[in-house]
Amino acid sequence: MTNLPLWLIPLFPLVGTVLLGAIAVISSGSKKGPAEGIVGFLAVLFPVLAFASVVLLAWGMPVEGIRLTLCNWIDIPLFKVDIGFLFDGLSRIMLLFVTGIGSLITLYSIGYMHGDRGFARFFAYINLFLFSMIVLVLSDNLLLTFLGWEGVGLCSYLLIGFWNKDLKNCQAANKAFIVNRVGDIGFLLGMLCLVTVGGSEILNYDSLNAFIQMLIAGGHVEIVLPLLSLAGLLFFIGCTGKSAQIPLLTWLPDAMAGPTPVSALIHAATMVTSGVYLLARMGELFSLLPVVLLIITLIGLATAFWAAVAGLFQNDIKKVLAYSTISQLGYMFMAAGVCAFDASIFHVFTHAFFKAALFLGAGAVIHALAGEQDMRKMGGLLRKTPVTACVMIFAFFAIIGFPGFAGFWSKDLILERLYTSGSLGPVFYGIGLLTAVITAVYMSRLIILTFFGSYRGSKESEEHIHEAPASMLIPMVVLSIGAIFAGYFWADSLGMTMFKDSLAPVLGAAQSGVAHMHVNPVIFAGLGTLAALLGMFIALKVYGSSRVPEAKGSSAPEGFKADWTFFFDTIHKFCGIIPVAVLAWIADVVVEKILQAAQWMVGAIAEILGDGAAAFQVRKVRLQLALSVAGVAILVAVVLLTGGSI
Amino acid sequence: MLLHLLVLAPFVAAILMVATSKEDPKSSSRLAFLFGVAFFAMSIALVAGGNQATEPMEWFRIPGCRGPVYYYLYSHGLGAWMVFLSCGLSLVALITARNTFEKNYRNFAIGIFALMGAMNGTFLSADAVLFFFFFEAMVIPAAVMIAGYGGKERTKAAMTFAIYTLVGSAPMMVALWYLLTVADNSLLLSFAIALQGLPAETQFVILLCFLLAFLVKTPIFPFHGWQAITYAEAPAPLSAILTGAMSKAGVFGFIAWILPIFPLSMTVVNVMLWLGLATAVYGALLALRATDAKKLLAYSSMGHLGLAVAGVFSLSEAMLPAVLVLLVAHGISAGVQFYLAGVAERMTGTRDITLMGGLAGKNPVFSTLFGFAAIMALAVPGTAGFVGEFTVLLAIWDMGPFPAVVAGFCLILSAAYMLRFVQKVIFGKQAREYEEGKRMTALEGSAFGIMVALLLTFGVHPAFITNSLHLFDEDAIEEMSKLSGQEGEAVEGAPADSLAEQSSDAAEPAEEHRPMTEAEIAQLDSTLAEAGFDESERAALIQQMIAADAAQANESAQANVEATENE
Repeated sequence: MTNLPLWLIPLFPLVGTVLLGAIAVISSGSKKGPAEGIVGFLAVLFPVLAFASVVLLAWGMPVEGIRLTLCNWIDIPLFKVDIGFLFDGLSRIMLLFVTGIGSLITLYSIGYMHGDRGFARFFAYINLFLFSMIVLVLSDNLLLTFLGWEGVGLCSYLLIGFWNKDLKNCQAANKAFIVNRVGDIGFLLGMLCLVTVGGSEILNYDSLNAFIQMLIAGGHVEIVLPLLSLAGLLFFIGCTGKSAQIPLLTWLPDAMAGPTPVSALIHAATMVTSGVYLLARMGELFSLLPVVLLIITLIGLATAFWAAVAGLFQNDIKKVLAYSTISQLGYMFMAAGVCAFDASIFHVFTHAFFKAALFLGAGAVIHALAGEQDMRKMGGLLRKTPVTACVMIFAFFAIIGFPGFAGFWSKDLILERLYTSGSLGPVFYGIGLLTAVITAVYMSRLIILTFFGSYRGSKESEEHIHEAPASMLIPMVVLSIGAIFAGYFWADSLGMTMFKDSLAPVLGAAQSGVAHMHVNPVIFAGLGTLAALLGMFIALKVYGSSRVPEAKGSSAPEGFKADWTFFFDTIHKFCGIIPVAVLAWIADVVVEKILQAAQWMVGAIAEILGDGAAAFQVRKVRLQLALSVAGVAILVAVVLLTGGSI
Repeated sequence: MLLHLLVLAPFVAAILMVATSKEDPKSSSRLAFLFGVAFFAMSIALVAGGNQATEPMEWFRIPGCRGPVYYYLYSHGLGAWMVFLSCGLSLVALITARNTFEKNYRNFAIGIFALMGAMNGTFLSADAVLFFFFFEAMVIPAAVMIAGYGGKERTKAAMTFAIYTLVGSAPMMVALWYLLTVADNSLLLSFAIALQGLPAETQFVILLCFLLAFLVKTPIFPFHGWQAITYAEAPAPLSAILTGAMSKAGVFGFIAWILPIFPLSMTVVNVMLWLGLATAVYGALLALRATDAKKLLAYSSMGHLGLAVAGVFSLSEAMLPAVLVLLVAHGISAGVQFYLAGVAERMTGTRDITLMGGLAGKNPVFSTLFGFAAIMALAVPGTAGFVGEFTVLLAIWDMGPFPAVVAGFCLILSAAYMLRFVQKVIFGKQAREYEEGKRMTALEGSAFGIMVALLLTFGVHPAFITNSLHLFDEDAIEEMSKLSGQEGEAVEGAPADSLAEQSSDAAEPAEEHRPMTEAEIAQLDSTLAEAGFDESERAALIQQMIAADAAQANESAQANVEATENE
């Protein structure tokens, strides 16, 4: 047992933020910038300390978890919320990989950001991100989770627009924040909806679960089901924003404008999975809402399929990975939609390793090629950057679900749960499997275009290609080891269920309602393997031998590929941006002008009347005097008549 | 004593400032700074000191009216925080104006102190006529300063501002005069009682007169014609005070005068709620298109205050603390944004955001503050703005999900225009060579930093604000009813059924509030009689009860407890 207080975990990165932020601001005036050694050390130190304290706490955690209420936050009539933390099986797993992968990626960033003028500022943001993410996961109530929720969104904004001299990056950052804001409002209204149902206490997760158990025990579920469904739907809108699901997914591909370690940490491993975390955390609520669950499954399915196809069309290596992330998140939502919350969290866990490894590998490739991101100008890098290539190939095997690698276990588990979920199960399973084939195709394409064949870039750039420094390679290697072995925490067919058992105390109640028919896992494993092999085969046939088209102009897809890729951007444009712009135009140009005209009219009338009255202003003393006396007399009369005394 | 000092001493300070040199800004700025700090310290003492009141002094009698007008100051949580804003923002304005105006700083300081005194008077008056006096007095120093120190179109701006706001409150003056002829005196309680005796149409007309004054001052759509040009043309330090503190007088008026005095029908409440929401959306939409930095901020303020007014007329139990937190948060964050916009204007020589840009690389400390202030205005959780907006949304949700969705839409729009603002001003490349103006000084920077830090503090621990709210506590009600007792016999003899009607009318909008019935009053009367109170005492007590009931529907439960304790 350890007696570490829970608030220590978020405190470490917060201190890091303040220190690094202070360094960044103080040194901003100087020409040279702060010493990178010290800044880098501080930047890694605090995440590592947080990770260490999580490990210590995780080791000695009692089964029912650790709870700590720090102090009161908001206390007004009708609304009272405390600042409190909850460390249980679910937050333990999330925290372990958030702080662990966070530390690794921070270490990687030291190499990646070397020589950047905003070195200290970058790490201040990263620490702030880790603080927000830890608060999101560790909080014991929805409002505090929302603090983390918007906090990570803010850090994402700051980091996407990190190189703020280029307005394109700023626009991508703005887009990310605003689209996320739309989702956040859903979250916020969802909280209000819950407060209407059960008062502000049920914003606390424990009370929420107790409230739901009370509803079930009392048989009152029917009465509040419409309101609860509304709340669930609103929370899910929040999740679609943060986790880039249909329809709020357009920001994530644009978010690749940020530095690559940021894409790995925020837009692949941690932040984007917070939607899945929220669904699991409120599992007991969602398991009551069949309509919402169906919507979640369908959205997840559609997103997974759509993004996988979009991934086929990209030329930018980071964009492929971005669409792949969206697609994988779709898998997680599918799982959550059939109440397989533990399977979805397991996929979050394995995905964090292999996707972070892929992104860091892509970062190393981009680093080696001096900023080139277009895959059509790569090729043959296997011999030039062997370590990076190996890391990426291992992660590639993990993501396509090659037997034995991490993704194999988690993806098969999700597909299996989909199949057994009910009458629609086989349909879901079929689409899921098809998506798995497409996943294998586009990932194989990425690997083939990048590492095999011959180099297609310019001659002079070929000489500069170099393997990344050790500070970048070590995290990549560690992550690739995770990508290989993380699956063995829950290998059902081998009888290893450590992951499942550790989540059971938290998610058991939410999943108890789902009947599990027993199926033979070997068949699913076989089909999954077949899907991966089929995808690889197709990719080899299509991309392996044919000539890669010449890269010209931008790396953005064209023609029907662009239509598919930017489908939701188009919808946003016509359903969101243009109506608001038209409304703003009407307000600014029409209404405002009418009001001004009215204002001027009143003014003009007053002026005309004033001119008329000025006619009395003649130079005749007697008349003036007479008028004054008359005025006084009228005033006196009025006062007396209304009953006053003088 | 503190109240007198806060209201009267600024005028004395303004007069003392005359003694300093007009030519030498150094000496006059030092004196002004000292005064500013002193007033700010007093305002903190006021906030910390809880409710307090002065002895009512008879000020004058208007011929034809039944009672006198008092010089009577009363501080409750709401007013105290508004005074805090007015003194705090004035102090920062005095600091930052020092770098903005090369000469004639002295006269600016005189104006600021006069404005501060008038604002404090507005927020602390317990007497309606006194309130109105200060409410109008605010306009004059502000208009004079705009005309003297403003931008290119300063004359037009000053004229528009002065005429619009003065005309807007003129009907209120007439209504006040009329009320004085029927009420015992010009205190809240006697107004509330006097209104009950009037026919419904007259009540409605008087209500409209009061509403118009506050609608214009806030401003609420469609009475915002004066706002954008005024805030844009006024010097930035003054704009900050105007939006941060003076515009709060409108919302303050709704809470402290309209709600307690008038029995509001559901229609009026709904209309006001939707006017507030319309203002919020309208302001946000205009801000999306604005290219003038200060106009953008003006529209943004309009949007936030619209939300605050919508919150006020949700009449939820959570309304008062929610709106107060929102007002304080907005006061500080809009204030600091105006100051920063002023610094940006000084550094780039323009207010047009399409001609700015690239300040992040050029002046990182300024840009950090600028970005921070924008984040505070976005109401990210952990900042005071979030606590305010979230709880206001909670209050609005009481009126139905649809108004809350509209309010949520405003939050999305506010993110859109604020991020655009940040991007245009500090990010990207420098649009052109800026003629070097004076950069941000350390004192200015730390003042802005403190404001931002305050927002964070209130965001994490809003109890500083929410705990200070006891809008109409028992002592004040008693004091007021004592005065009514002395002045008019008629009130004591007022028929019981009209009183009952009053309470039920007033309480109608607040659904969860159960109005006192006639039977209950009768029962209370008999229990009091048993307890040995005589006729007049009983009448006074009951009257006090009912007035409290009408004035603050939310606190009726408490008042009941009070009454039982009295037994």
